[in-house]
Amino acid sequence: MDALKAGLVLFVACLLQLSVLTEYEAFRSASIVLVALLSIALLRGSVFGAVAGFATGLLLDTATLGTLGVTSLLMTLAGFWIGRYGETTARDRFHAPYLSVAVVTLLYAFGQLLLQFMLGQPAPAGAAVHALPGALLLNLLLTLPVYALARRLFPPAELGDRVREVRLLG
Amino acid sequence: MPRNRTVRIAVLGSSVQRAAPYGFPSGRSSAIKRRIVVGCLVLLSLVLITVSFRSSALDGVQGVGATVLRPFEIAADRVTRPFRDTVGWFQGLVNAKDENAKLKAQVAQLQQQQIQYASALEENVQLRADLNYQAPPKVADFGKVNAEVVANPQSVIEDTITIWAGSSNGVENGDVVVEPTGNPDGTGALIGTVTRVTNDVSRVTLLTDNESAVTATDLSDPSVIGSVRPGSGSSLILDRVPKQPAVRVGDTIITAGSLGQGPLKSLYPRGIPIGTVTSQSNNDANLFQNIAVQPFVDLSSIQSVIVLTPKKSD
Repeated sequence: MDALKAGLVLFVACLLQLSVLTEYEAFRSASIVLVALLSIALLRGSVFGAVAGFATGLLLDTATLGTLGVTSLLMTLAGFWIGRYGETTARDRFHAPYLSVAVVTLLYAFGQLLLQFMLGQPAPAGAAVHALPGALLLNLLLTLPVYALARRLFPPAELGDRVREVRLLG
Repeated sequence: MPRNRTVRIAVLGSSVQRAAPYGFPSGRSSAIKRRIVVGCLVLLSLVLITVSFRSSALDGVQGVGATVLRPFEIAADRVTRPFRDTVGWFQGLVNAKDENAKLKAQVAQLQQQQIQYASALEENVQLRADLNYQAPPKVADFGKVNAEVVANPQSVIEDTITIWAGSSNGVENGDVVVEPTGNPDGTGALIGTVTRVTNDVSRVTLLTDNESAVTATDLSDPSVIGSVRPGSGSSLILDRVPKQPAVRVGDTIITAGSLGQGPLKSLYPRGIPIGTVTSQSNNDANLFQNIAVQPFVDLSSIQSVIVLTPKKSD
C-alpha cells in the first residue's frame, strides 16, 4: 500500500515539476520531486527511498528525453542516503526534513554537474552555483507542505508504540 | 515532617515490553540485503546511462514511455492552466501600460518600413527572376510542423526543451526550430535545433546551450558574418566578427544560411531573426568585435514551437 501511495505522490510531483514549476524561470531551480522523494525516504527508510528514487528518476528522464539513468542514479543515492539517515538518527527530529533537503539539494546540484561533465555534456558550474541559493530557498519552502503531506500519508507508526513504554504511577 | 505531596513516578520499561520495530520495513532488512538492493539500482542506472549515451537502442522504449506519459501531462497542463493564466494575466497587467506605449511607437515605425520593404521586395523578386539568381534556402522552402512544448528546461544547467512532435510528424535530427508568431509565414525568431527524435516526442537544444553555434549576419549589413554562441545568462554573443565593418547597437541579427564560410552548409535557412545587438566593443587583445545579442525569444519559457522540416523532393 505504501508503495502505491508513494508511486502516486511521486508521479503527481513529476507532473507538477514538468507542467508547472519549469514554466517559470524563477521556480526552475526548485525540485518538488526531490523534496517529495526525500520526505518519503525519511519516513520509510533506505531501501524504499532508493527504489522510489530510481523509479522517479527513470520517469523524469523518460518524460524529458534525457539520458536514461542520470537522474535515476542521483535520486537512488539521494533516496537511499536520506532513508538511512531517517532510519538511524533522524527519527522524529523537527529539523530532519529541512536538513535533508538542504544537504541533498547541494549535493544533487554538484552530482548533476559532475555527471554532465563526465558525459561530455555542457556543465556550466557558474550557472549551477549561481542558482543554488534560490534552489535551496525554494526547496526548503516546499519542504513544509510536502513533508506535512508525506507525514499524513506515511505516518511514522512507531510513535504509538513508544507512548506505551512509559507508565504513570501514583 | 513528611511532605504531603503526590508523587508520580515514571517507570521506564518496568513491565512493558518494547513493541517490535514498525514503520521502517527496510529497517528489518539486513545490511547485506540493503546494500545489494542499492548496489543493483546503482549498477542498473550506470548500465542505462551507458546504453542510452552510447547507442540509440533505448530510444524506442523511451519514446513509448514518453507517449504513454503524454495524456497525464496534458491533463496536468489543463488542470494547472487556469492558475498559470491568472498569474500571466497579472504579470501582463503590470507591464501593459509601458508595453502599450512602446508598441504604439513601434507600429508607427514599422508601418513606414513596411511600405519601403514591400517596394524593395517587389523589385527584388523581379531582379531575381531576371538574373535567375540561385539563393540560399529560406524559411518558405521548408515544411512546418507546429508542436506544443512538453517540458521547458529542467534546471539551470540544461538548455533543452521537449516538444510533442517526432519522426511520425516528419521531424528529424538537425531540424531548425523557431517560435510561432502572427506573421504571414507564421514563423518567428530562432529557438534552436532538434537533437533527439523519437516517434512522438523530440528534444530541442536551445540557442543558449554551450554546444550551440549558428552562422549569423547583420540584417543591415550582410557583409558582417559571425557565429552566434551562448553568452552569460540568457544573452548570446556574436563571435568571430572582424573589427570592420563595425556592428551597431540595435542592429538585428539573423541567420546567415549557407553564406557562412567553410565547406559545410549551415543547417539554418537564411533570414531567421535571432536577436538585437545590445552592446558592441573592441579591445586590443581580441581580433574580433565583442558583440552581445539579446535573443528575441524568451528561451526560459516557451509554450509552442514550429519545426522547419526539409521538403522532400519527389
